[in-house]
Amino acid sequence: MPRRRARDLAAERRTFVGRGAALVGAAFAFVHIGIGAADLKLLPPEEAFRFSARALDTRTLEANFGIEKGYYLYRDKFSFALEPAPHALAVPTLPPGKLKDDEFFGRVETYRDRVVVRLPLAEAAPGRTLTLIANSQGCADAGVCYPPSTQRIVLTLPAADGRPGPLIEATPAKKRWFN
Amino acid sequence: MTEPPAAGGNAPRRRAIVAAAAVAALALGAGVAWWLRTDPSPAKRDASALLEIALPDAAGVSQPLAQWRGKVLVVNFWATWCAPCREEMPMFIAAQEKHGPRGLQFVGIAVDEAAKVKQFASEIGLNYPALIGGYGAMELSRTLGNQIMALPFTIVVDRQGGVALTQLGPVKPAQLDQIIALTR
Repeated sequence: MPRRRARDLAAERRTFVGRGAALVGAAFAFVHIGIGAADLKLLPPEEAFRFSARALDTRTLEANFGIEKGYYLYRDKFSFALEPAPHALAVPTLPPGKLKDDEFFGRVETYRDRVVVRLPLAEAAPGRTLTLIANSQGCADAGVCYPPSTQRIVLTLPAADGRPGPLIEATPAKKRWFN
Repeated sequence: MTEPPAAGGNAPRRRAIVAAAAVAALALGAGVAWWLRTDPSPAKRDASALLEIALPDAAGVSQPLAQWRGKVLVVNFWATWCAPCREEMPMFIAAQEKHGPRGLQFVGIAVDEAAKVKQFASEIGLNYPALIGGYGAMELSRTLGNQIMALPFTIVVDRQGGVALTQLGPVKPAQLDQIIALTR
């Protein structure tokens, strides 16, 4: 009676799936009592704002911030520094941001998607290995802000006739599937 | 159908399959329960660790959180540099004003400097304590469930000392109603 057997097995399978679902559901219910939390799906800051940099020539660095959709960085919270002394950056020109009318902060400029900042050194430093320090701060449209962040990237400037250095990521990107 | 249940050699095998399936389901359920319990979400956890801390207020006076034990305590992590935090605070001020006498107590923990907190508190007419946590408060919030370490982050402790809510991002008006209902 193969037909009936198949039906019984199917019923068993349904029972199994049902039991499994009930148990998983119970597990969820057990943990999630109390007031309905409405937590937002959010990225950790290093994934929302990906900082990378490279040396363009003996006296110019370039900082890149890749900004995830739905996140933004404040233009006036950017600052850069170079280590070790006496190497130093000249005052960089930050590209104009997008104007945002903030109830409390007034008109503020923000960056979305991507921002690239050219950072001239006070003096050329061919072949030197230096640490670029970037301070930034941003928020998510979903309604949270991340604390000010300081990130460092070690860069080796090219020799006088050298080619630009490779783009270096601030933190090793987390391993992802298909990526 | 009226056919009798299957009998013979297949039945024990099927029972074994059902048993195995049940064990698998239990293991899965237990696994999920365990995973969720070790997950950051500390819902309905005991808040004693939070109630044991003390932080200075804007005047530098140490304020132990235990002084609000027995009230419905809403601990809000915020900062003056956080626009969404500033936006929700007038709602907290109104709730403190209206429901404070019935045992609702807001306490702000600022991931900020005292001078900035003081200035902002007077600007918006803050009517509940603003404690100064500095950037160390970010780590404190992480231990309470703020895995992303963003602001605002709010944790609500009920009168029995249990965690009734942890919320990353602004508190929704409906949640505030539920918080207020805890005072009854």
